[in-house]
Amino acid sequence: MDWLIGLVPLPYPVAVVAVGTAVLGFVAGALGPFAVLRGRSMFGDAMSHGTLPGVVVAFMVTGVKDPVSSLVGAAVFAGAAALVMIGLERAGRTPPDAAIGVALSASFTLGIVLLTRVSQGGDADQSGLDAYLFGQAAGMVVRDVELTVGIGGLAVVLAVAFFRLLRSATFDPQFTAVAGVPTWAVDAASTVLLAVAVVLGVRTVGVILMVALLVAPAVAARQLTTRLSGMIALSGLIGAVCGVAGALVAGRTELPTGPVIVLLATAAALASILLAPRRGILARLHRRRALAGAP
Amino acid sequence: MNLDALVIILTAGLLATACGVLGSFLVLRRQALMSDAVSHAVLPGIVLVFLLTGSRAALPTVLGATLVGVACVLGFEALRRTGLVRADAAIALTFPALFSLGVIGVSKFASGAHLDLDTAIYGEITFAPLRTLAVAGLDVPRSLLVTGLAAVLTLLLVVVLWRPLQASTLDPQFGEIAGLRGQLAQRVLLVASTAVAVVAFDSVGAILVVAFFVVPAAAAHLLATRLATMLILAVAVGWASAVTGHWAAVHYDTSISGTIGLATVVCFVLARLLAPRRGLLWRAWRRQVGADRFTARWYDV
Repeated sequence: MDWLIGLVPLPYPVAVVAVGTAVLGFVAGALGPFAVLRGRSMFGDAMSHGTLPGVVVAFMVTGVKDPVSSLVGAAVFAGAAALVMIGLERAGRTPPDAAIGVALSASFTLGIVLLTRVSQGGDADQSGLDAYLFGQAAGMVVRDVELTVGIGGLAVVLAVAFFRLLRSATFDPQFTAVAGVPTWAVDAASTVLLAVAVVLGVRTVGVILMVALLVAPAVAARQLTTRLSGMIALSGLIGAVCGVAGALVAGRTELPTGPVIVLLATAAALASILLAPRRGILARLHRRRALAGAP
Repeated sequence: MNLDALVIILTAGLLATACGVLGSFLVLRRQALMSDAVSHAVLPGIVLVFLLTGSRAALPTVLGATLVGVACVLGFEALRRTGLVRADAAIALTFPALFSLGVIGVSKFASGAHLDLDTAIYGEITFAPLRTLAVAGLDVPRSLLVTGLAAVLTLLLVVVLWRPLQASTLDPQFGEIAGLRGQLAQRVLLVASTAVAVVAFDSVGAILVVAFFVVPAAAAHLLATRLATMLILAVAVGWASAVTGHWAAVHYDTSISGTIGLATVVCFVLARLLAPRRGLLWRAWRRQVGADRFTARWYDV
């Protein structure tokens, strides 16, 4: 990983953070379209809140703050939150958005209760667990970057490998079901992909802001292309650029990194909605005026 | 039970009353996540008021934050109306941006002073009895006063606007034909929800906002078949959670907001399992009874 970091013409710690946020932005951006296009944007919010109890439980079990064990704990609980949401939706009566609200409240309050228990234990090593809520990009070390590249890369490769399946499940779930693919398998697969993006991201941008990292680049990319493959590539690229730019701006101005990345990504999405060549608001206004002007 | 415990339970219960009533309408209208979004989006409003006035007095904070919350709702509506962004993506785009502004504001201008992100999120319901206001010579806890006012105003609002709210929630087309001002009801509902979310954020922290708006209403939705029953059940779930949650927090020595929120979730799980006709266990039991009857009738067992 050091050769990649060495390529960046910046002081070493800054370069580590910049590369880390770039990879993270790319992974979250590339996987975000599968959530946004299926109308599951807020799934990411409940799943990121779901990582909190996972991290605390991992700490309670192992007794140390270890990136790998907290990643595993976070992934298990984020996946469980997603299963609860899908299960509640399928059980009937509870609307999807209420199901998301219930899963979010359940996992987050559980996380807070466990966290309070741990903090009262007087254990010196647990400090900083609540920094998790708002993310800590500046504390990134090479091992974090390696984990992000390894796991995130694997998720992106899987998404590309099963691209046709995910595409048909995204745009035409009924056709996919009729074609003989079990819907639960596709649900599970896209949930796992989202969980990967979420657990990698929460450590950097925090539980509350993670959802923006999934959704904003995807919304920006959606306005610029009509093909899913193009949208994924573009969304990943936008995420990566916002990640690097956010890390650098935050480092220069001494602002918290997560919020700066989120604001940049949101600005990209808004600019895209306003200025996109064909779908954008200005383009549409222009077209309407041209139509009205014609005799 | 001592006085402090009573104040905490009353504050949570009054808040649960306001949130349960408004949350029931939001859940039925598929707008449950507005409460989540607004409760996060008001942070920059609170920071801004703090920067301008230098205080965290209740009235200006609630007013300023409500304005930002309403701006969040309007921004979300505008995004959705463009037809370029789905409703859920529009929510996911609006509130993190506003929350980011709030976090930056706190860390840049107000860190270490009187604004503390941790207490805003985790809630300071534990300290509710400590912050008091003098009313008619008596020291009344501030949060009790504010949440009580919110609960009374919410109930009043729902009673006055009952017909338009009911019609536009359950049958919007009938509401329009009957001239029941569905648009007005929608706007009033959103502004009231925003104001209550701000009050909740300010007095008990952000965790309880979503838990109180969505979970009791979703539980009541499983139990009730009439709107009025649903509202009453949602409020009842809120009060029950306030009492049991507080007891559990004292008993296990942990976060009061957390256990109260968790108690609402337990109520929801119970409703999901045991609700008459809709509960999962109830359904399984009925199926078993039906099968047994069938066997008994046709095979003379």
